[in-house]
Amino acid sequence: MKKVININFQGAVVPIEETSYELLKQYIESLRHYFANEEGRDEIINDIESRISELFQERLKKGSTCISDDDVNSIIKNMGRPQDLEEAENGEQFNSAANTKDEFKEKRESNHQDNWNWKGKRLYRDENHKILGGVCSGIAAYFGIDPVIVRVLFIVSGIGFLLYLLLWIFVPGSNMLVNGVRKRLYRNPDGKIIGGVCSGIGSYFNFNPWLPRIIFLIPFISFFFRWGHIGPLTFPNFITFSFSPGTFIIYIILWLVIPEAHTTSEKLEMKGEKVDLNSIKNSVVEEMKGVKERVGKLGKEAGSLAKEKGGEMGQEMKFAAKRTSGVLGNIIVTLFKVFAYFVLGCIALALIVALFSLAVVSIGLFPLKEFVLTDGWQSALAWGTLIFFIGVPVIGVITFIIRRIARIKSNNRMMRYSFIGLWLLGIVCFGSLIASVSSDFRRTSSPNEEKVFLANPGVQSLEVSSLNNNRYYRNNRWFRFEPFANFDDDTVFIGNVRIKIEKSLNDNFQIGLIKMCNGDTRRHADTLAALINFNISQNDSLLLADRAISINTTDKFRNQSVEMIIYVPVGHRIKVNKNMAYNRVWINGPWRHDDWYNWDDEDFNFKYGVEYIMKENGLYTLDGIKAGKEDDWNSNDEDYNSGSSDSNQQIYRYNRNKLDSLRDDKERQIQKMQQTVDSLKHMKEQQIIKEKDSLRNVKEKVEQKIEKLDEQRAISAKAYLRPASESYNFIMHI
Amino acid sequence: MNIDNTASQMRKGVLEFCILSIIKLGEAYPSDIIDKMKAANLNILEGTLYPLLTRLKNAEFLTYRWVESNSGPPRKYFSLTEKGAEFYNELESTWMELANAVDEITGKKI
Repeated sequence: MKKVININFQGAVVPIEETSYELLKQYIESLRHYFANEEGRDEIINDIESRISELFQERLKKGSTCISDDDVNSIIKNMGRPQDLEEAENGEQFNSAANTKDEFKEKRESNHQDNWNWKGKRLYRDENHKILGGVCSGIAAYFGIDPVIVRVLFIVSGIGFLLYLLLWIFVPGSNMLVNGVRKRLYRNPDGKIIGGVCSGIGSYFNFNPWLPRIIFLIPFISFFFRWGHIGPLTFPNFITFSFSPGTFIIYIILWLVIPEAHTTSEKLEMKGEKVDLNSIKNSVVEEMKGVKERVGKLGKEAGSLAKEKGGEMGQEMKFAAKRTSGVLGNIIVTLFKVFAYFVLGCIALALIVALFSLAVVSIGLFPLKEFVLTDGWQSALAWGTLIFFIGVPVIGVITFIIRRIARIKSNNRMMRYSFIGLWLLGIVCFGSLIASVSSDFRRTSSPNEEKVFLANPGVQSLEVSSLNNNRYYRNNRWFRFEPFANFDDDTVFIGNVRIKIEKSLNDNFQIGLIKMCNGDTRRHADTLAALINFNISQNDSLLLADRAISINTTDKFRNQSVEMIIYVPVGHRIKVNKNMAYNRVWINGPWRHDDWYNWDDEDFNFKYGVEYIMKENGLYTLDGIKAGKEDDWNSNDEDYNSGSSDSNQQIYRYNRNKLDSLRDDKERQIQKMQQTVDSLKHMKEQQIIKEKDSLRNVKEKVEQKIEKLDEQRAISAKAYLRPASESYNFIMHI
Repeated sequence: MNIDNTASQMRKGVLEFCILSIIKLGEAYPSDIIDKMKAANLNILEGTLYPLLTRLKNAEFLTYRWVESNSGPPRKYFSLTEKGAEFYNELESTWMELANAVDEITGKKI
């Protein structure tokens, strides 16, 4: 069931199905775009419309009640779609240079009955007179001025490059036709908040208008949330400061440049062909088809190889192999395909992610180049690396993705080659930059310990604290690049300071400094090492030291490092404050220069802000816990390999300590056991005493009773003496 | 370099000549031209004919007159101008030379 409408088409009333009407309308609109550059465009369209009208009449005369989709489609097929026409003419319709300007001039001799209000003035990229992307000549044609003026303006204005890229991406070329309907970027008056720019961009790419809105707003949001606290050159700030005026300007310019969609046809044009998930999926599927074929080919080759091998192994094996390549082979090929897709996807994703993170990191670090690179040559190479080696692929990938999404399929070979060429240039820049910089780091200075004069070396305890210039040492950047602690315009601070605590040989605190540096020659390295400015001052028991080395743009960063050795006399105390916690602390143990990065705070039994005391055999906390690394790794390493008597002694000491503490433990245990045994003994004794007492009591009582009985017996004996003796006698007689 | 492209380039070159020669035989309506070309096995899209005719007309090689039609809107019947006839003659001689040359080169004697 379809709705039939009557249209007045070329002076005749035509009943036509609504969908067919849409088709026809779209088709004529696409022709209109196709012939946009043609001098007699309206006449051509009129002729074609007349012909179509005639064909309609023929059909209606044959007995059709109305024009259907099929009718329209077959007419369109005979007439040819713009793509077909283009194929047939090979772009010949853009035949004269003079035409191009006329194209943009308004022509309103519209004598069609239909009310498509064609506005001739549109911004296109003029692909016939382009130098780079045709943006400038398009704008020039739009305003009716000389393209050279626009080009000069673009080159002179700083924002020009970025804007150019944006316009290149967003403004369609004059040759660009999407499925016969030119999709146009309009400002959307229906969904506008300010100027409808974002809403228009949203409907152009068919995503939620809030996406471009948020992209435009991010820099401002970040600005309002005052990410500025983080530091002068962190990445979010980089965006905020350089992009927030940028997006504002871009918005304004887009507002001015993009036409507003007034009429219904313009609004339809604004949406054009839907660039939705489906079309993206289609293009991805197309891409993958190629891969599939290749992978399938590989799978087939593998299969045939299996068959060959099978042949070699005789009849039975052949049968087995055939079956393998038949059933199992299929499974294997499928699995292989899945695996290949997966791997390819992962690689592509990883490459893109790596590329973008590289871009982010390098932009974040770029201000550091002043501190590393020496002359203009290196600086130029750094710029070349940033723009060509990193920037070009990033822009390339972005343009590729956008072109893919927008389904722009112009075969722009020039652009591809120039991208590749620029990138190769970037590789060359990068390589020579690395070579040049690494030669500046080639040699290391000779280590040289210098003693630092202390005002009052005889103090009982020393507290190491950082100088009160915390401003430079805030380390809450959201990405960190060791060893750079922080930097501002002319100074960079390197946290390459290490603290080492050793036992002093006399009764005084002593400080030693070893300054190290790299350079292209050893002499240069030594000179630079001597230039390192590291402040230490003592204020009674407080030792104030720099937490980082400051480096300016003239001295350059050459991996400067400072090692501060604090010699603590036996019986004296040392404390390293928490504000020094960024630096690593070592305690007298033997350590090698290149091992330092293996040491972690966890490995290291040293606590900042805790007082330690130096004893004859090392550093201890006040509770008697030894500071320093207690790790099998260390002792094993030193036990057998080291010939140095010092370290042997160390180990010996270490072992003896261990033994001592073990013995102590055991003794304590024994004591405890003894105590319990003693107490048990005591209890038993008391029990025994108690029992003895009670027994004695009982005995006494019994004795008393016996005495009593004896007495009674004596009395009774007296009383019955006679009979008793008589009886006795009697017995005796027997 | 593909065959379609080359073939269409060749066809395109002679298209105007063919159109002019059809019109030379008498007033012609675009769909007549299409039909005649189809009959000669030279298939072109109608859409390509209209711009060509308009261009030739604008170059004053062709003129047209409106003829009422009982099957729809009035039709444009094209005919050659004097200038067009001259142009046609030039094209014809060029074509003959070219055809001879091509035949000679490709080895097909007439």
